Amino acid sequence: MNAMSSDRPFLAVVAVIVAIAALLCMSAVLPFGLSAYLANTIGQLAAFAVLALSLDLIWGYLGILSLGHGLFFSIGGYTIAMYLLKHSFEVTGKVPDFLQFMGWASFPFYWSGFGFFGYAVLATAAVTLLISGIFGYVSFRSRVGGVYFSIVTQALVYVAMLLMFRNDTGFGGNNGMTGFTLLFGFPIGSKGAVIAMAAVSVIVLALTMLGCRLLLSSRFGMLMIAARDDETRLRTLGYDTLLLKLAVWCLSALVAALAGMLYVPQVGIINPRLLAPDLSLEIAVWVAVGGRGHLTGAVIGAVLVNAIKFWLSAAAPDIWPFILSGLIVMVVFVFPNGLIDLAKFKLQRTMLSRNRILSEPREVRR
Amino acid sequence: MSYVRTAIGVVLAALVVASSGGARADQRADMIAKVCGDAATMGDAARGFIRTAADGSSDERVWAAQIATALMDRKLSCDADGAVAANADGPIDAVTRAKRQPLGEARSPLLNLRNRALLETAQAALALRGSQDLGRRTAALRTLERQASSLPEQLFEAAIHDETDPALKAQIAAVAQAAALNSPDVAKRISAIQRIADVPTRRALALIAPLTKDPAYASNPDFLRAVDSATAAINRGITIGDTLATIYNGLSFASILFMAAIGLAVIFGLMGIINLAQGEFIMLGAYVTWLVQEALRHIAPTLLDWYLLIAIPVVFLVTAVIGIVLEAALLRHLYRRPLMSLLATWAVSLFLINLIRVTFGTQNLQFVTPFYITGGLPVIGDFIFTWNRMFAIAFAIVTLVATWAVVRLTPLGLNIRAVTQNRTMAGCIGIPVRSVDMLAFGLGSGLAGLAGLALAPIYSVNPQMGQNFVIDSFMVVVLGGVGTMAGTVVAALGIGQVNVLIEPIWGAVAAKVIVLLMIIGFLQWRPEGLFAVKGRRK
Repeated sequence: MNAMSSDRPFLAVVAVIVAIAALLCMSAVLPFGLSAYLANTIGQLAAFAVLALSLDLIWGYLGILSLGHGLFFSIGGYTIAMYLLKHSFEVTGKVPDFLQFMGWASFPFYWSGFGFFGYAVLATAAVTLLISGIFGYVSFRSRVGGVYFSIVTQALVYVAMLLMFRNDTGFGGNNGMTGFTLLFGFPIGSKGAVIAMAAVSVIVLALTMLGCRLLLSSRFGMLMIAARDDETRLRTLGYDTLLLKLAVWCLSALVAALAGMLYVPQVGIINPRLLAPDLSLEIAVWVAVGGRGHLTGAVIGAVLVNAIKFWLSAAAPDIWPFILSGLIVMVVFVFPNGLIDLAKFKLQRTMLSRNRILSEPREVRR
Repeated sequence: MSYVRTAIGVVLAALVVASSGGARADQRADMIAKVCGDAATMGDAARGFIRTAADGSSDERVWAAQIATALMDRKLSCDADGAVAANADGPIDAVTRAKRQPLGEARSPLLNLRNRALLETAQAALALRGSQDLGRRTAALRTLERQASSLPEQLFEAAIHDETDPALKAQIAAVAQAAALNSPDVAKRISAIQRIADVPTRRALALIAPLTKDPAYASNPDFLRAVDSATAAINRGITIGDTLATIYNGLSFASILFMAAIGLAVIFGLMGIINLAQGEFIMLGAYVTWLVQEALRHIAPTLLDWYLLIAIPVVFLVTAVIGIVLEAALLRHLYRRPLMSLLATWAVSLFLINLIRVTFGTQNLQFVTPFYITGGLPVIGDFIFTWNRMFAIAFAIVTLVATWAVVRLTPLGLNIRAVTQNRTMAGCIGIPVRSVDMLAFGLGSGLAGLAGLALAPIYSVNPQMGQNFVIDSFMVVVLGGVGTMAGTVVAALGIGQVNVLIEPIWGAVAAKVIVLLMIIGFLQWRPEGLFAVKGRRK
């Protein structure tokens, strides 16, 4: 089983993540250490890694490709942005830009309650579960799968983008929401807050990895992989795959929303461009590059692709799309399982002398 | 003899002119007095000029035009003895047109805004009757058109009588209808109302609607009946026209959707691959069309107008070849991994968009609008049968017939259908499955390219254009199902019409949301699409 064989790399990656989290915590307390900029970059990468994990859960372990995960990511992003704006407004009295643009005197009714963080989190979960639940139930019940499902999810995120581009929805329209000032009463731009957000993101990433790992090594995880490999057989054996798929789909949506909640406070803006079908496709590319069906693969893919993107969008923005498409073609044709292929290949070479003695007799016996 | 007769004629003519000249001079002096009076009398003078334009003799109209122009240009000075107009050779008397200097303190009358507008109308009316220049007459008609209902109908009747240019004559006749509404003769007004109601547009309604406040509406039952039935007829016409326009717009949107989706459906049916780069083939088609246009501009400028037709084979071949190359290089490795093929084709789309962006830039391309797709045919109400939309519809119908013929009547089509139904069995009986895939992909890409050609003259062409169609055309494929062309046709028509129906009520975004929800709901009922071929689920 995939999950078993990648045990050591998994522990290594979790160890690295925990180390980074420790480093961030130290930097927050001590005068030296990571700069705020670097910490912010690490925090954003961690949020993307969580997002990649959410897609890997549904694509890598259940074989369902969603091209609409940007929708759930944005739900988390929008609700946290609403919390930040409402919180800033309640403490400092700063009126959000979009209210001034629209000439509205007060917040629309559905903004009430967003001043409390707990309410915002609950609202995120509720909205995400509602949308993913209804859409998932309707799609899986009629056994819409494969390419059909991917295309319909893409249309879903596209329609959501069109909707959010409207200025009269009360979510900031095409300008989105920005100008956050406070987070739990602390100024959001201070070094301490930036590093704390990054540290939280990295810790959440580690916890998500461990959580996914626990889920996958349970009986439930076994069922997921069984459904991916042969759904018909699993159904014949008497398992309700509709419920299974629906549960994983909703869980995946929740994790994506969590990633959005981590991401938006760190970049300081959310706008409907986050809902562009291109971003949702990019998430699939991160997972494919890293290696779908491996938790470590998703994390490494997200970090790697986004690190290159951060670097290139500043250094040579014109080249980035070409690099990205080249990367996809390479992954699709040369490393069908992503960088995991490369890693296995390398590990075998470097550990050849030790491994051969241990593993060869076993191979012979089998 | 002839000399004598001519001499008598000349004398008689001179006598007539002289005798009428006296009365005319009085009239002229009266007008000048009004022009030199206060604002109210100046308004009377302007209305007088309009009346002159309607029924005055040609001499009188020339004189009135001169005075009106002088007044507008502030070249007229009033004095104790009437008025003096500044002329190129020096000042002349306004009435007698003899040279004289202004007496004592001359003042130049000042027009207020209301009178200026009136005088402009008078000038236009005089120009319509008297100007030798067709352009000036046309411009004058434009000015008069806006207030036709306040002008005397004789003005237009006389103008129609004198007009030599047939096109302008027809235009004057159209404007005259509005003027006839103003006739003192109720019978004439009623016939004018009926004539206007013959062309039921919103403009006609705007002319008829105010008549309900007319005194005759209350007093004359015939007039009342005429106005009411005309209003009803016009409203009916507008409703029919709007309905037709909606259907027509939906048809043209559907035909573009169909052209974008048919290639997608063929490829999906055959190989189970959704080509996310389909929109970029539309974009490539439009760019190739532009290149053909530019090539013609340099090589054979006389054929420039026909670039849309000349480009058809070029666009099809170029996009088909690009599709075949793509299939042979990339997609053939992905038939067993349809989800990965989504990513791979997206990579292709990203690559193509950016390649075009780097090569051509992001600005919209400029297309010549050839004569055969300019303008349109007004049908009923405000519905105009525009040729550019008709071009797209006709093009889609031709494409549909041609594709149907290829799929149904050619050996390639037979092979495509066989491979779509059962790939393994088709391979077993000796059909070259690989080359069928390749050619079908070329066919699909070529059809998308043709969609780009049809879009080129009616849509903004830039590297991003394909993105706007691709999701809609996926929806067509999902809704229509694979295996039959009928599914694609019906789905394209349905989505096109629903979009156009909902758009004016709730807006374009709501239309997209509702269409998507309808499709998701529909998939509950028929998960394989509208016209899916019955068989085992793969």
